[in-house]
Amino acid sequence: MTDVLFSVLFAFAASGAFAVIYNIRGPGVLICAFGGGLAWFSYLLSAPLLHSDIAQTFVAALVISLYAEVMARIRKCPVTGYLLVAIFPLVPGGGIYYTMEHAMEGEVNAFLASFLHTLGLAGAIAVGVLLVSSAVRMWTAFRRQSSPMKKEERP
Amino acid sequence: MDYSELLTVAADLGYALLRSGAEIYRVEEAIERLLRAYGIAQPAPFVIPNCIIVSFVTPHGEAMTQVRRMPSHGTDIDQLERYYDLGRRLCREVPPLEEAHRQLEEVRRQCRTYSFPVLLCAYFTVTLFFALFFGGTARDALAAGICGLTIGLVLTLMTRLHANLFFKSMLCSALSALLACTLTWLGLAQHSELVIIGALMALVPGIIFTNAIRDVIAGDMVAGLTKIADALLTGVSVALGTGFALSLARLFWGV
Repeated sequence: MTDVLFSVLFAFAASGAFAVIYNIRGPGVLICAFGGGLAWFSYLLSAPLLHSDIAQTFVAALVISLYAEVMARIRKCPVTGYLLVAIFPLVPGGGIYYTMEHAMEGEVNAFLASFLHTLGLAGAIAVGVLLVSSAVRMWTAFRRQSSPMKKEERP
Repeated sequence: MDYSELLTVAADLGYALLRSGAEIYRVEEAIERLLRAYGIAQPAPFVIPNCIIVSFVTPHGEAMTQVRRMPSHGTDIDQLERYYDLGRRLCREVPPLEEAHRQLEEVRRQCRTYSFPVLLCAYFTVTLFFALFFGGTARDALAAGICGLTIGLVLTLMTRLHANLFFKSMLCSALSALLACTLTWLGLAQHSELVIIGALMALVPGIIFTNAIRDVIAGDMVAGLTKIADALLTGVSVALGTGFALSLARLFWGV
């Protein structure tokens, strides 16, 4: 339990610092940090259900995209910033490293396995983000068509 | 109305948005909305990652076009939000063009970036917490923080020297991995691989990748594919740099 708490806290702090690197200011930093924490929390929370880190990454990417869309609507600014930073704890940095290490040691099978695994993780993030953004776009288009007088703006 | 002035304002706005790392559709939409607000019937903005073309036909039947070349750029969310806000404000209020121009200038002046020491601190914090996040000890985290500081320093220096993206990430990852191995050898860090992974997180192409996906969703395949290639190449150069440093370290110290 404390393990979970601590790793979520670390993800929170690291995402907050990333927000500073990409020049996010004011309350945005906190929102990004919460996003990073939330991403890792949902990753860990879905572990007993899914038992696969690719599926867990997918769930976390879904949660975080929703979070970013909601936050963008609340703060009336582009969704980009929150999504970009909050996704970082899910990025397979370890995967890149171990793939490289296996390649260096000439372990072809281990290299291929970790390479495909890294690609799978990246793909899970992609599909998660893709699903939510596409759904939101469709919903916006639907609302625009049902009320032609009111021009919705896409944050 | 002075349509060439309008063209310049629209291109300026698009340029500023794209430069701060906005998605392609957002830039195109901002330009189009602005031109429509000023009474252009069929504006035709065309944006790809390194070029903006704005074209329209004035009500007098005159065709006007402006092309802007985009240099390589980073991501600046604060600037992106400010210009996006400005774009929406201009569409709402439709001020005279001199006023719009003045507001653009004003936003440009308002945009601030964090000072260099704060940025270095941020790099330190990112790598420190990612090392902890991946299961490192407090000493590993400190070592990763030092590697992060180096990455921040070298990245800023190389950006100032206009080095290309791949060389930058290769050199930074090589330096930080070498430093991580040295620190492990000196006895500061305990797990060199956790230190290296923590430091790598400051270099992995997470931002480009997510941006690429958003472009693909919006149907901008040219931009999406360019950025995915960019992300893959950056990932490969990070791996290459780290691999190079690791084999050097093994040669010297056997860590």
